[in-house]
Amino acid sequence: MISNYFKIAWRNIRANKLFTVLNIAGLAIGLCVCIVLFSFVNTELSFDKMYSNSENIYRVNMETSEEYDFETWATMPNSVGPAMSEDIPQVKKMTRLIKDDFGATASLKIGDNNFTENNLYLADSTVFEMFDFKFIAGNSKNVFSKPKSIVLSQSAKARLFGEQEAMGRLITVNNRDTLQVSGVYVDLPKNSVLDCAMVYNIMDSWMGTNVYWSNASYETYVQLHPDTNVAVVEKQATALIDKYVDKEGQYFTKFFLQPLTKIHLYSADVREGYSTKLGNITTIKSLLFLSLLVLFIACINYMNLATANSRKRSKSIGMNKVLGANRRQMLSLFYVETGILVLISIIIAFGISFLALPLFKSITGNEINYTDLLATPILIGMLAIWLFVTIIAGSYPAFSMSSISPLVLVNKSKKKGSVSEFVRKGLVVFQFAASIVLLIAVTIILQQMSFMKNKNLGYDPNGIIAISVKSAENKQQVQNLMNALEKEPTIKSISATQAMPGSNESGRSVRKLSTDSNGLPIASCRTEGNIVETLKLKLLAGNELPQTIATGDSIIYTLINEKILSYLNYKNPEEAVGKIINTELGDRAIISGVVENFNFNSLKEDIGGYMYYKANDAPEGIRTLLVRYNTKNLPQFLGQLQKNFNDNLPNTAFDYQFVDKHVAQLYASEEKTASTATIFSALAIFIACLGLFGLAAFTAEQRTKEIGVRKVLGATVIGITQLLSKDFLKLVLVAFVIAAPFAYWLMNKWLLDFTYRIEINWWVFALAGVSAILIALLTVSFQAIKAAIANPVKSLRTE
Amino acid sequence: MTMLLELNNIYKWVTQGGNRIFLLKDINLKVEEGEFISIMGPSGAGKSTLLNVIGMLDNFQEGEYNFLDESVDKMKEKNRSKLYKEYIGFVFQAYHLIDELTVYENIETPLLYKNVKSSERKALVADILDRFNIVGKKDLFPSQLSGGQQQLVGVARALVAKPKLILADEPTGNLNSKQSEEIMQLFKELNQEGVTIIQATHSETNAAYGSRTLNLLDGGRIEI
Repeated sequence: MISNYFKIAWRNIRANKLFTVLNIAGLAIGLCVCIVLFSFVNTELSFDKMYSNSENIYRVNMETSEEYDFETWATMPNSVGPAMSEDIPQVKKMTRLIKDDFGATASLKIGDNNFTENNLYLADSTVFEMFDFKFIAGNSKNVFSKPKSIVLSQSAKARLFGEQEAMGRLITVNNRDTLQVSGVYVDLPKNSVLDCAMVYNIMDSWMGTNVYWSNASYETYVQLHPDTNVAVVEKQATALIDKYVDKEGQYFTKFFLQPLTKIHLYSADVREGYSTKLGNITTIKSLLFLSLLVLFIACINYMNLATANSRKRSKSIGMNKVLGANRRQMLSLFYVETGILVLISIIIAFGISFLALPLFKSITGNEINYTDLLATPILIGMLAIWLFVTIIAGSYPAFSMSSISPLVLVNKSKKKGSVSEFVRKGLVVFQFAASIVLLIAVTIILQQMSFMKNKNLGYDPNGIIAISVKSAENKQQVQNLMNALEKEPTIKSISATQAMPGSNESGRSVRKLSTDSNGLPIASCRTEGNIVETLKLKLLAGNELPQTIATGDSIIYTLINEKILSYLNYKNPEEAVGKIINTELGDRAIISGVVENFNFNSLKEDIGGYMYYKANDAPEGIRTLLVRYNTKNLPQFLGQLQKNFNDNLPNTAFDYQFVDKHVAQLYASEEKTASTATIFSALAIFIACLGLFGLAAFTAEQRTKEIGVRKVLGATVIGITQLLSKDFLKLVLVAFVIAAPFAYWLMNKWLLDFTYRIEINWWVFALAGVSAILIALLTVSFQAIKAAIANPVKSLRTE
Repeated sequence: MTMLLELNNIYKWVTQGGNRIFLLKDINLKVEEGEFISIMGPSGAGKSTLLNVIGMLDNFQEGEYNFLDESVDKMKEKNRSKLYKEYIGFVFQAYHLIDELTVYENIETPLLYKNVKSSERKALVADILDRFNIVGKKDLFPSQLSGGQQQLVGVARALVAKPKLILADEPTGNLNSKQSEEIMQLFKELNQEGVTIIQATHSETNAAYGSRTLNLLDGGRIEI
């Protein structure tokens, strides 16, 4: 009996080619999206589960005090780890993890060659056991037994040494420390938040030997004994704060333990971690929701097309009933048909998803391997989806068609039209409503992106290149380089600074009175001068920082932004010029000038306090040259720069970044959101149109006789096209009315995340509505025109 | 001769704008096994309706219907369909073959719904194909057959489950005279073998093949 169902189902599928193709197209697209996203989500959820002690490893996070807005940080003082290890018996192992030079790019010198490295870490030797490092050269137990040792990942080793032996070789880091390679380890898993390319012993640096309770820069991981009560350990850890830190130094108030396996997806609110491999659980949830939505739209298509097709098949169904089929047998037949169609769609979907992987990577930046697509959870998931879709998509048509009475054979069937018509129309409305919401969302997201890119930041990031000089061997080299560059005609101005805006400034505070306990947290950045010119800041009062200071001058010259100005309660900028400012830099800091607020951080954040300063004996060093250029020939310009750099800093790697690209990267995740949303709306609309196309075809066929009669009575082709299209356009309008308020609410919520945001304009909604109508018209008109120009003789011929 | 079915005071109407339009009015009919009855009457008289009621495809508002001494109108839907599956075969004017199935598969279909075993199905279908001389056509699709051949298959399909009663609604309506004659001749043979046949027809010639004629007047009344 089952084999008979297969036979009949197969024959029916082949007999109704248009219907089959439309359905398979829609389902395959929806399923392809699901497959790709499920693989992605599968990988995301698998992060950090592979370590033998994954369940017992936690990262210590800390909550800061009011001064720092109660933020949660992933980094803390280097004393926390050892204190926890000593005082809390449940802590079995501990390691600290910190990027070299607090995250700035490291400059490596091997023999005569210079390299840059972004993922050079310092850690305790316990890190190798905790995270199952597998060494292919050297032994994890003694790689750090010799002082000044360093271990490399396999890829790092290949990059630095190629095929040559690496063990025992010397690497000079930042022209300061010389380390010897004592081990090579297998690359850390792709799905782990740990991204160490090289590791050296934290105890070989002041970072490990000078242990104190300020300078929150160190990530700390602990491995607890199994079955430990985590909440108790958190309390014990928090108690250490009062034990070791006096009240004044307590800018943090609590410690939390974040399970290792949750770091990757649940760190959206945790700041300052070093890993670059962070995802977001909200993104995962949104992507899953969107993919299920697209699939659901495809299922609705199926329902619509199947029930529309039922008119054609009603005679055959009625006959089967006369011949003795009961309802259950008819239901089985239809479910088998749906099942076969869905199976074919799944197979095609797998095929398309292999092709779609590169596209996915270019949009989201995430890579999925071909093998990931065939992972067991995915295959099981697809089996479940197959059943799920067959039931969801197949139930309504199956029940609707199996209830057709045999009386259709003698044209005595009841006009069931009203109920099923209503449902069908409702489904079309839903599809289009979802598509319109997506259209509006995409438009607004793209608007916001464009706004952020073009907003006046208060300084001009375009046309500036930042060159790292922190690994220069001495100050003279940097001075020589600056002198050489000043001679170049392509360079307009150079400013030697601690950091480019928004990266690696120092955290200080400004107080109204020197006796205040709390102040305004600010970012401070040392510079040697003409920063206003190079960054094109807007000077509101006072002067640029002085070009030169006399050698014995102990005054600290500062440039403050409006935020600091208003905190200090000055009525206007001129009032502040020349006044003393209370900050940790010393009691001889005065205000040289005031600049307009500028967005040194992402536009998602408020502007905080910012201060540039220049002084003799400054606590921070000069690490970056900001160079404003005025040439369009970038390759040649870069070549010149490199030559000048290598001439003057022969033992340092040439490391640079364009400031405008750095700024653009701040919005990388929003760009991804924009691209993803665009793709999803295109897919949703496409599938909705497939459905509409099929429906229009069937409606036209249904009304063939009516159209024939109207033509005979004198209707024009245009008139008939209008007649057929009118009903569908009404549906689209209803969809718009439903979609618009929802979209408004949704996008309003999304925009609230941005401190600097656009207003939602009415024309966005009008645009979406008109687009939806045009698309619907286009889809329907093809069928309508085809029906309208048909020969009435053919359509009126009786059977 | 046993009583096959009995209709007593059957009324069937539809309401249109507040009025009752009678499709069948006070129908009384007794059919014994082995009869060959022709129901005649003008268009719209209710011939097809009557056949549908007898065949349990349609229901009625008033009256009694007994089939083999069981009260059909009081039966549950499930039992009713079991009854007509078992005992009744339908032949339509428009053949209504299933276009996606071959001749063999079309004939086989009622047996499938009765859950007849595969080997038994093969035997029954082979028998019928043989009897109707269409063995060579068993793998063809309806679109490849002539009208007469299609109707033949329709009759074969109605017969394969060995029903007691065949209901034929204008079986030769779409056939030419030669094909009509062949079909009617077939019916005669079947009737002689013991199958009860009730046909609705316009044609006097066809009606003559029957043993009894019923005239249905406009409004669904039987002329005595």
